[in-house]
Amino acid sequence: MFGVVRAVVRDRSQAEEVCQEVLLELWRCATRFQPGRGSAMGWVTTIAHRRAVDRVRAEQRAADRHRRAASHEVDYDAVSEYVEAQLEAQRVRRCLSFLTPVQRESLTLAYYGGYTFREVALLLGVPEGTIKTRMRDGLIRLRDCMGAGE
Amino acid sequence: MRRRRPEPHTLAGAYVLDAVSDSDRALFERHLARCPACAREIAELREASTGLARAMSAEPPPALIQQVLELSGQIRQLPPATGTTTRRISRAARAQTRRMLAPQLAGALAVVLLAAGVVLGVVARHAEDQASAAQQRAHQIALVLNAPDAVMLSDRVKTGGSATVVMSDRDSALVFTTEGLPRLKPGRCYRLWLMGPAGDRPAGMLPSPRDGMTSPVIASGIRAGDRVGLTVEPDAGTSHPTGVPILLMPL
Repeated sequence: MFGVVRAVVRDRSQAEEVCQEVLLELWRCATRFQPGRGSAMGWVTTIAHRRAVDRVRAEQRAADRHRRAASHEVDYDAVSEYVEAQLEAQRVRRCLSFLTPVQRESLTLAYYGGYTFREVALLLGVPEGTIKTRMRDGLIRLRDCMGAGE
Repeated sequence: MRRRRPEPHTLAGAYVLDAVSDSDRALFERHLARCPACAREIAELREASTGLARAMSAEPPPALIQQVLELSGQIRQLPPATGTTTRRISRAARAQTRRMLAPQLAGALAVVLLAAGVVLGVVARHAEDQASAAQQRAHQIALVLNAPDAVMLSDRVKTGGSATVVMSDRDSALVFTTEGLPRLKPGRCYRLWLMGPAGDRPAGMLPSPRDGMTSPVIASGIRAGDRVGLTVEPDAGTSHPTGVPILLMPL
């Protein structure tokens, strides 16, 4: 969870702040968690990612973010030294490499960059409708690939 | 120029990636509430987005964990939701799977387990250098809680309280915690067992509760057809359960 928040928020101390908020929110709402609606880890990452995205959107002016997008690269070096996590990360990255370039870029810009699909469409110069479809197709392919590797 | 509202159905991928504006999100969530097919699709797509999160997994700084643990003691938890919406969801989900038993009871335990997973993840890193038994156990618990195939099951205990299990088939192991078990007479303790075609095997004694919850116990070597059972036994310990199981959970 810390890893994904840091990937989105970038700044380490801000990432810590967001994580702290999320963990305390989880604690406060724990009694309302519905285990049947997905794995606990999935629940946590979903909430954490959403908060991270809210934070970057609130913090950064659009112009600033567009400038950053020009050089947006996923910082894979930030990945854990923890072997177990590293293997999992490699598997996901390998699956990402099997996507088409537009699928891959729309997933990484949106998920790690915190951009909306409209912003991604602008950045990649592709119609909004196409981006929405690529995001969905990309996720489906990613999921199938991750499942096949098990 | 007025932007045309997007067709909600096509937003599924963008929604899962959090790549929607607040107004698009509200639009999609309204649609989601009455589209069971979309809800299924979202659950499937979430597997992929959780994968994207895993690709970035990193250890949190220990100071952060410490801070959260301290602050959590000062924050009051919300009472379990009783609104009609939530009840409707939970009833539907309960029909789908027995994993929905006692969802509101499982919640607090789930978070304790997750927090344990985060904290133990940090401990685990040092386990390789200083392999004490306690640290190895912490490492094993962290592995199960963070396993990609981990599933959570919960059930009520016959004599009161509830139990939550996080199990990983990959590791053939489970992590077990309880909440609100009745206090026992002196000289008696709660014991955990793996019960199945391979015979009944002891899986450890529950530690004494803190704030009504017992800290995680790990049981490994799960075999096909095993169930997890809980009995009340004399402190001295037995190699086979003597009491009637007060919990018998199929895995």
